[in-house]
Amino acid sequence: MLQQRLIEALGTDAVKTAPEDLAVYAFDAYSQGVMPAAVVLPASTREVAAAVKIANDCGEPVIPRGAGTGLCGGAIPARGGVIFSFARMNRVLEVDARNRRARVQPGLINLDLSKHVAKAGMFYAPDPSSQKVSTIGGNIGTNAGGPHCLSYGTTVNHVLELEIVDENGDVILTSLDDIGYDLTGVLVGSEGTLGIVTSAWVRLLRQPETVRVWLAAFDDVHAASAAVTGIIGAGIIPTALEMMDQVMLPAIEAAFHAGYPTDAAAVLLIESAGFEDEMNLHESEISRVVKEHHATTWRAAKSEAERDALWAGRKGALGATGRIAPNYYIQDVVVPRTKLPQALQAVADACEPQGIIAGNVFHAGDGNLHPLLMYDRGDPKQVAAVIEAGNQILGAAVDLGGTISGEHGIGYEKRDTLRRIFSTDDLATMSRVREVFDPKRRLNPEKIFPAGIGCAEVQ
Amino acid sequence: MIVKSIDALRETLERCDREGLKVLIEGGKTLAGMGPALPRADVSIATTGLNKMLAHESADLTCSAQSGMRVAHLNEALAKHGQFVPIDVPLRKKATIGGSLAAGWPGPRRHFYGRARDFVIGSQVCLADGTLASAGGMVVKNVSGYNMDKLYIGSFGTLAVFTHLNFKTLPIPKKRRALIAPLPEATRPRAIAQIASMAVVPAAAFCVEGFGKNVDGSDDIDGRVLLYFEGTEELLERATLDARSALGKAGVPETTIIDTGASESFDRTLDACIANKRGRSITYRLFGLPGTVEERAVRLRDACNRHELFTDVLFDVMNGDVFVRASERDATRFSEKIATCHAELRELEPRCAIVAGDSAARASFEPWGAVPPGIEKMRALKARFDPHGTLNPGRFIGGI
Repeated sequence: MLQQRLIEALGTDAVKTAPEDLAVYAFDAYSQGVMPAAVVLPASTREVAAAVKIANDCGEPVIPRGAGTGLCGGAIPARGGVIFSFARMNRVLEVDARNRRARVQPGLINLDLSKHVAKAGMFYAPDPSSQKVSTIGGNIGTNAGGPHCLSYGTTVNHVLELEIVDENGDVILTSLDDIGYDLTGVLVGSEGTLGIVTSAWVRLLRQPETVRVWLAAFDDVHAASAAVTGIIGAGIIPTALEMMDQVMLPAIEAAFHAGYPTDAAAVLLIESAGFEDEMNLHESEISRVVKEHHATTWRAAKSEAERDALWAGRKGALGATGRIAPNYYIQDVVVPRTKLPQALQAVADACEPQGIIAGNVFHAGDGNLHPLLMYDRGDPKQVAAVIEAGNQILGAAVDLGGTISGEHGIGYEKRDTLRRIFSTDDLATMSRVREVFDPKRRLNPEKIFPAGIGCAEVQ
Repeated sequence: MIVKSIDALRETLERCDREGLKVLIEGGKTLAGMGPALPRADVSIATTGLNKMLAHESADLTCSAQSGMRVAHLNEALAKHGQFVPIDVPLRKKATIGGSLAAGWPGPRRHFYGRARDFVIGSQVCLADGTLASAGGMVVKNVSGYNMDKLYIGSFGTLAVFTHLNFKTLPIPKKRRALIAPLPEATRPRAIAQIASMAVVPAAAFCVEGFGKNVDGSDDIDGRVLLYFEGTEELLERATLDARSALGKAGVPETTIIDTGASESFDRTLDACIANKRGRSITYRLFGLPGTVEERAVRLRDACNRHELFTDVLFDVMNGDVFVRASERDATRFSEKIATCHAELRELEPRCAIVAGDSAARASFEPWGAVPPGIEKMRALKARFDPHGTLNPGRFIGGI
């Protein structure tokens, strides 16, 4: 019934029902859900709306999906239902250069937008490490960040207007410039639990005149952390300020030949963008700070190729973990940046007693850690140890005044963990929003909210 | 009543909600000209007693302050550590941070730094039933749960009352500079295009007609352009060269530089957006794209002029906001003319909203303009958060 009606509305090519096809969509980058009842690949807002109405009629949940790169299970069909893939809604619809904005479909790959507008001297700022494959729609769902969010902010700062299909299959337009409640701001980061984004106007930025990238290496991870605080404390907010540790540096270097010193305890990758004169000032000031913190190496990328190589290592770091262990589990926590040394110690304390190798590659300027816990999925003891260590790290971040997700979202994985930072009243207040947008709880169920919050059970 | 503690706020709201009393929420009352003329309410609650800085983690570039703290006081406290939060509102010495955020005032530096909302990293609110609810936290990056702060910001106090707000802060720019030049209307389109494409982006850029001494620069018939730059000494030198060149190409011959007092000049321009002529003026605001800012400003101005109203016009070149103040010398004549003018403005630009004017002058007008497409969801949110209609009832768009 469901499958037949979807095929009638969208056509055979746009509906997948074969078990081998559905199995692919039972996963995302976090883990496996249950088999969906169907997968649709709509080509227009009208088709999205039609499919939502059919899913509603059949009592099936609706799960929007970008590229499936989410690391918290936000796109898994936790209760089955209809997966909405936006692989066919992947275009830049309009570029408004005068007003520096673009209207895009949700399936557009993040990096493709910056490529599309590069000739006009513009770029799209949010740049998650997955930007070569992750989609703008998925980024909006998780309020994705990335290395350059240190100065540019996360996705929510760059979304101007949204077109969504709501739980009834109705189309709603929202705009930051509308007088009224900021529905746009609430929809971003709601992980598909409030509506399905079918297009978005996003902000574009002008490409900077000069971009400089510097590398600083340290013998001591605490000194590197102190240098991060020192740079920001000197009144400089670089466009990116990333850290990689001793575990990761040899693996990344072996994989990418980025030019990282493999014997350092920690390396900072620092980028600043602006005008030549400003960059000269930044260079001398940042150089002074890192040397004060006993940097053993300090150098600037001398060419665009060298700059790209330094970034390629950082952005490809997760892939390099295969040189250390068969599998990795990545955490995403944030602490006040002055608490980085304690947070890194907490990672070590959680992992070392259990014999887990932990690497760190993260957005140090934001205090956003991404501990990479290496393990072998085939060994149940290692799996259990990694889960336990991950929980300890979450707890430590909260104890340090931080939070449990900086940019990956809550999804399925962390929904119960949300109780560590929010009271029942806090969560019940959030659930009031959910009750307005999704009273039947069919939009991406079992995501974000722990069960049994407040005045209504929230799936 | 002025509440001085969170407990007092919570208890008062809970009691009013239980007893069916309507509550008017007030901050510094600087933006009281927004929305309908103040409705009758059973209780007025001012948050100005909640005025403490709760934390300033200067090394982390974060702070937390109670909602009744004045915007100027917040930034004075942060300035001791060389930091600030760009909350651009008129009358910032009087405006509270909670009121400013609740009113969702659009800052002219938002294209440069981001919106004030983008600097809020966490908050606590009190709901109509007295429930205290927190969102976000004290870290600069956070996707744990819904963006509840965004929902409350710009909600005009109709969903909840801020008790405190957490911000990320910025280092204070090393230098500020204002450039002011006369700008005849004929040269304006070219000048605006030049400004919009300058290599060094101004922190704010306004074109102004009228407003007398409210705004710096000569108030002759030509109007003027005001550019504000923030950054290093070197950047400002380059900005000055660029700006003079850009304006020169547009036929603007001379530019005045203000270094000492540039901040105050900027503040005066912001204040002008709601400058009111007692009983005989109304100011309209119209959002839109920067690319159409001048044509919208001219359209609103000319409509007012057709009704023989005086106009003062201020528009934001970088963000596209237009402010037009319609006035008369005599209050009676004003009320006669503005009635028909208001109807015409609404027809021309359904989204133009009233942001300033005495209660008497704007009493008979719907202030917000056309309802947005998401109004039904907004009404449902209001019903879910404030089912008894306790908080600021009827003060917001669509009668929310």
